[in-house]
Amino acid sequence: MQQGVGQPEIAGRAEGGTSTPAPGNTLYPHYELGAAYDEMFAPDGAVRAQYHGLNGRLQTLPSGELMRRQHACEQSFLHQGITFTVYADAQATERIIPTDLLPRIVAAAEWEHIERGLKQRIQALNQFLLDIYTDGHVLKDGVVPRKMILGSRHYRREMRGVAVPHGSYVNVCGTDLVRREDGAFVVLEDNLRVPSGVSYMLANRDVVRRAFPNVFRAARVRPIEQYPNELLATLKSLAPFQEDVSIAVLTPGVFNAAFFEHAFLARQMGVELVEGRDLLVNDNVVYARTTSGLKRIDVIYRRIDDDFIDSLIFREDSALGVPGLFNAYRAGNVILANALGTGVADDKAVYAYVPRLIRYYLNEDPILPNVETFLCREEKSLNHVLANLDKLVVKAVGESGGYGMLVGPHASAKERAEFAEKLRADPENYIAQPTIQLSTAPTLVDGQVQARHVDLRPFILHGEETRIVPGGLTRVALKKGSLVVNSSQGGGSKDTWVLSQ
Amino acid sequence: MGAQPIMLARVADSLYWMARYVERAEHSARLIAVNLESMIEQSPEDAEAAWRRVAAALTGDDVAGADAFAVTQALAFDRTNAASLVSSLHLARDNARQVREQLSTEVWEHLNKLYLGTRDPTAQSVWAHQPALFFRQALEDLFTLGGVTYSTLRHGEGWRFLELGRHIERAQLVSRLLDIYFGVGAPSQPLPPPKYFDWLVLLKFCTAFEPYCKEYTAALKPETIAQFLLFDAEFPHSVRFSVDRVVEALGHVAPGAPPSRRANCERLAGRLKAAVDFGHIDELTGGTIDAFLVNITRQCEQIHDAVYATYIAYDAETVL
Repeated sequence: MQQGVGQPEIAGRAEGGTSTPAPGNTLYPHYELGAAYDEMFAPDGAVRAQYHGLNGRLQTLPSGELMRRQHACEQSFLHQGITFTVYADAQATERIIPTDLLPRIVAAAEWEHIERGLKQRIQALNQFLLDIYTDGHVLKDGVVPRKMILGSRHYRREMRGVAVPHGSYVNVCGTDLVRREDGAFVVLEDNLRVPSGVSYMLANRDVVRRAFPNVFRAARVRPIEQYPNELLATLKSLAPFQEDVSIAVLTPGVFNAAFFEHAFLARQMGVELVEGRDLLVNDNVVYARTTSGLKRIDVIYRRIDDDFIDSLIFREDSALGVPGLFNAYRAGNVILANALGTGVADDKAVYAYVPRLIRYYLNEDPILPNVETFLCREEKSLNHVLANLDKLVVKAVGESGGYGMLVGPHASAKERAEFAEKLRADPENYIAQPTIQLSTAPTLVDGQVQARHVDLRPFILHGEETRIVPGGLTRVALKKGSLVVNSSQGGGSKDTWVLSQ
Repeated sequence: MGAQPIMLARVADSLYWMARYVERAEHSARLIAVNLESMIEQSPEDAEAAWRRVAAALTGDDVAGADAFAVTQALAFDRTNAASLVSSLHLARDNARQVREQLSTEVWEHLNKLYLGTRDPTAQSVWAHQPALFFRQALEDLFTLGGVTYSTLRHGEGWRFLELGRHIERAQLVSRLLDIYFGVGAPSQPLPPPKYFDWLVLLKFCTAFEPYCKEYTAALKPETIAQFLLFDAEFPHSVRFSVDRVVEALGHVAPGAPPSRRANCERLAGRLKAAVDFGHIDELTGGTIDAFLVNITRQCEQIHDAVYATYIAYDAETVL
C-alpha cells in the first residue's frame, strides 16, 4: 500500500512495479502498468471485462481517427463556451478544460457498492450536522472533540437552532473517491459546501457518446441526463409547499470560474439564474427584480460560499451576496441549498472521524473506507506518525492547497526533524496519511493511448430522499506519472460510464 | 405569486444590449463589404469620399486622406475602438454570455462562433485574400444568427427585448446614415455632393436596392430614396418599419407591470410612431430633413431612457 510515492495532492512519478505492456496487441505500445491499479488492464495485461467493447473498437479504428475525434470534442467544448478565462495578457484568452475522449468504465457491481457507500455517508454527515447545530449529542458523548468543532473556522454559530428542511444540510455533495492499489474505492474527501464539476460530467457524456455511439449502445451505459431534473426535484422537496415553488440558482457572476456550470444548471432545470444584485430582501422576504416588478423567491441553490452570501452577517466587504438574506433564511422565508455552515464537516480533521460518525449515527460499518488517517491529537497515533515520518504525508488540518504539509518520502532528514518538533508542539493541528497511488486509466496523449492517474467525483443529492445519478466526474492527471488531477494544475476530465450489467 | 415566467431586469438589460450590438455589427459589416465592392468602380476621389461617409456613419470619425486599408483596419479590427466591428461582436457576445441560460444552444453557438471567427484574423490576413469576402461571410453568419434567433427562441418577453434592442438600434443607424447623405451629419470638411453611384451605394448599405427598384424603378432620386428608407411601412430596414417593431415589442414586455407603469414608454413610442406613420418627404424640403432626422434619433433615446427607468433600473421602493 505504501509502494508508490506521492500523494493525491502532490506531483509525483509512478515508480516501483514493472512496466508491463499489454500483450497480444500493438495498439498500446506506450501503455505502462505500474504499481497502481489499472482500470482497463489486469496485472497480467488481460483486458478487464467492462473494457472489452471499447478495446474492440480501438483495435479497428483507422490511425489518426482517434485524434480527429478528440479534436471534434475540443471544438465542441469551445463552441459551447465550456471554457475558463486565462488573464495572461491584455487580451484575455479562453481555454477549454481538457477533456479526454476515452471513457472511464465502472462495472455494475462496483457502482452498486459505491452507491450504497455514498448514501450511507451522506446520511451520517447530515445527521452529524443536524446534531452539532442542535443538541450536540456527538460532542457530549465525546465521539468528536467539542473544541475541534466549535473552534472550526467553518462552524457557523448563527446556524444554531435554525430549522433545516428534512434535517438535510448538505443537499448537493461531491465526494472524491480514489482507487487503491488493491482495487478498493476509498474516500479521499467530501465536498459539502458548493461542489462543482457536474456540468463537465454531462458535457463529457454528450461529446463522448457521439464519438463512440456503437460502443456506447452495446455497453448499455446507464444514463445520467436526468441529473438536472433530479436536482430540481431535490430543491423542490425542500420547500414547505409544493405548488408554484419559485427556485433560483445564485451565482457570483460571469467572472466566476464555474459560471458556465451555474448557467447550464439553471437552463437545464428551467429556473432563474440570479446574481446577488438581482435580489433584495424586504421584511425578511427575498425578491428578485424583474421587469414586471418584484417576484418572491422560495428556494435558492446558492453557488456562493458562506462567507460572501450576506454582508450584514458574514464578510461585510462582499458585494456578491444579498444583504439581509440570512435573516430571511432564519425566519424560514427562503430555503438555501446547501444550508450554511456545512463546511465544518468536510475539513481534514472531521474527515478522519467520518467512519466513527457512521457507526455512531447509523450503527453500521462504513461501506466505503477512508484513506487511512492518523489523528495526531491521539497519543498512539502521534507516536506512530513520529516513528514513520519518512513514509507518511502530514497535513495541517486548517490548511489547504499544500500549505503546512510534510511529504515524508520526499523530505530530508533535517526537514523531518523540524516538522517533528512542530508536531509535538501542536499535535491537534495535524493529521497524517500514507501515500497512495491513484488508479490509472487509458487516456489519449499525443495520439497514443497511455496510462494516466484518475479519481472519481460522484454527485449525491439529498433532500427528502437521496438520489445519485450513476456516474460522476472522472478527473485525470494528464502529465505522465502525476497524481494531481486538479484542472488548475494540468488536470483534465473524462466521461464516466457506469454499466447496467 | 404564480409560476408565470419572469424576466430579471438584469437579463432584459443584457438581451437588449446583445441585440443592439449584433445589429451594430451587421450594419458595420454591410457598410464595409458594400464599400469594398463598390470602390473598385470608383475614381480615387470618389472612393475617398465614400470611405469618409462610411466612417462618419460608423464611428463619427473623419478619415480624410486615409487609404482603404487603414480605414477598414480602424472600422473593423481596432479593438481599442468601441465602435469597431470586432468590438461590437465582442460586446454582443459578452452580453449573451451573461444570459447564456436564456438563449437557445443554436443562438449562443452561432454568436460564439462569429466572435471566435473574427477574433483571430488580423486586418493584414483578411486584406491579403479578397477582403470583401470576409465581411460577406460575417454577414452570412449574422443572417444565420438572425434566423435561429427568430426560429429557436420562444417569442416571449426575452425575445421582445431582443426585438426592442435591434429596432431601436436600426432606426438610429438608418437615421444617422440618411443624415450623412442629406444633411448636417457629414464629416467636418465638406464632401462632394453624392453622385448617382453614391445613391446606389446608400441603398445597398440598407439592403434596399432591389426592394426600392420594385417600388420606384431604377430611377434613383434622392427624395424617393429618403421616402423609402424613412417611411416605407413594409421594408425591414426603413425607419418606420423599425418604429413599428419597437411599439409592438413595448406592448409585450413586462406583462405583469400595471398600466400606470407602462404609460410613459407607450406614450413616447406612440408619438414617434405618429411622426413616421404620417410623415412624408414632400414636407421635409428646404433643409428640414436635418431637424426631422435629429428628432427621430432624440426620440429613440428618450424611449431607451424610459424603458430603463420603468423596467430595468427602477427604484425597488417604487414597486414594493
